[in-house]
Amino acid sequence: MTDLGSATAGSSPHPATTFATRVLLVEDDEGDAFLVRELLLDAGSDVTIQRVRSLAEASLELPGEHDCVLLGLGLPDANGLEALGVVLGAAPNIAVLVLTGLADEHRGIEAVAAGAQDYLVKGTIDGQLLARAIRYAVERKRADESVRRLYASELRAAENSRLERGLLPEPVVLSGDVEATTRYRPGRHQSLLGGDFYDLVETDDGTVYAVIGDVAGHGPDEAALGVCLRIAWRTLVLAGVEPEAILPGMDAVLVGERDSDETFATVSMVRVAPDRRSARFWQAGHPLPLLLRGDDTVGRLPDDAAGVALGVVPGTEWTAAEVDLAVGTRVLLFTDGLIEGLDGRGGRGRLGESGLEALLAELLVGSTSARLAGSLLARVQELNGGELTDDVALLLVSWGQPSR
Amino acid sequence: MDLSLSTRTEGDSTVVEVGGEIDVYTAPRLREQLVDLVADGKYHLIVDMERVDFLDSTGLGVLVGGLKRVRAHDGSLRLVCTQERILKIFRITGLTKVFPISDSVAEAVAATD
Repeated sequence: MTDLGSATAGSSPHPATTFATRVLLVEDDEGDAFLVRELLLDAGSDVTIQRVRSLAEASLELPGEHDCVLLGLGLPDANGLEALGVVLGAAPNIAVLVLTGLADEHRGIEAVAAGAQDYLVKGTIDGQLLARAIRYAVERKRADESVRRLYASELRAAENSRLERGLLPEPVVLSGDVEATTRYRPGRHQSLLGGDFYDLVETDDGTVYAVIGDVAGHGPDEAALGVCLRIAWRTLVLAGVEPEAILPGMDAVLVGERDSDETFATVSMVRVAPDRRSARFWQAGHPLPLLLRGDDTVGRLPDDAAGVALGVVPGTEWTAAEVDLAVGTRVLLFTDGLIEGLDGRGGRGRLGESGLEALLAELLVGSTSARLAGSLLARVQELNGGELTDDVALLLVSWGQPSR
Repeated sequence: MDLSLSTRTEGDSTVVEVGGEIDVYTAPRLREQLVDLVADGKYHLIVDMERVDFLDSTGLGVLVGGLKRVRAHDGSLRLVCTQERILKIFRITGLTKVFPISDSVAEAVAATD
């Protein structure tokens, strides 16, 4: 049995709209309960009290809208501190004040050690003191809670920045002429990064290798796997492994490191020759890169360049598509987040690759790589009518003169 | 948009008709369906995707996982799809080389038998 809010004091003419402190009083002794009410009324404090007589009744009310629990330790259905454990278990974010008698003040101290904000000895408190104790307890608990939340969000931010460094590294560029313009935007509602990654390495002989990839799924496991694959890729390139062996190497790493058979990754890799006149493209289930030509037209790779994603068919080999490059060509590598957004025509239609090509044709004219990357992302998001659901990564590779 | 699933038997095959969007939120239901069928001894599956509006990488992963499961029992997983939008996703990801894709359930059933 409970009686609701029967003691409301305070001077506000509109009690319903004020933020009175809501107290759940758990006390089976009628005299003590009466006293607590009277004290608070006397003090004129802005407190509403809901009273229950047992731990079982209290459990039904928690977690509720209360700011504070005043907990008597002599309940019929709980033994001393046991009640405190149950209350904090049901409502970990609530401030608990324990009421003790003169004879068992030591239990108040134990209660504070066990998570209560404070204890009050019945018979020694007046209304002002009680009101203040409640107010302080609630404020202290709130402060504790915000410190805890801050800590959690700091941890998450640190985790994100660690993963971000792993997934989206600084490119290795030796000559001044190679430029890697990168953008990454996490999807909506994602507190952690997804598994999109990219990298670019220019080797000693002036060859430029670039890669972009996406581990299917979204979460810390996928992001960590993305880091593995990105580092595997860079290691294979720096070690001078034949380009044909790079995707099979990444495939082996993926299969060894993933924790589910369903996990696969899509990768697109390009190798631009030192004379910058030709490039080879390897495709493992990834959207095909686009060639942005010097005359502001957009070129596609041949459709048959598409190979199977990593981690799907054991023993897959990937063959390259060789493409001649006109002077001034740039290569745009991207993840599918860029083309999975809505096309802005009001239906459920997606932008798709043809939509992307049309956008590029519009934005390409006279644009520097940095401006193009920025305006492209902005337009895609605008057409989608808000932030994109999935992560987007893009890597725009450009170069000036041949390196030798 | 939600995912709809229904299954029926045709010849030696079990047809799973899928509708709506297969994405990170709905894919677990498709996975569960495929796992249940394999656990039930149904190793020849036809996934009818004609009414699928959207398919993302998680959905693809579930189909790939399903294929691995039936292959472990010498079974098969065929897809039915004529929608260019969805076919394109299979082409991009190279999965047209992994999944047999038919134009109709009848064709897929005939190919299974």
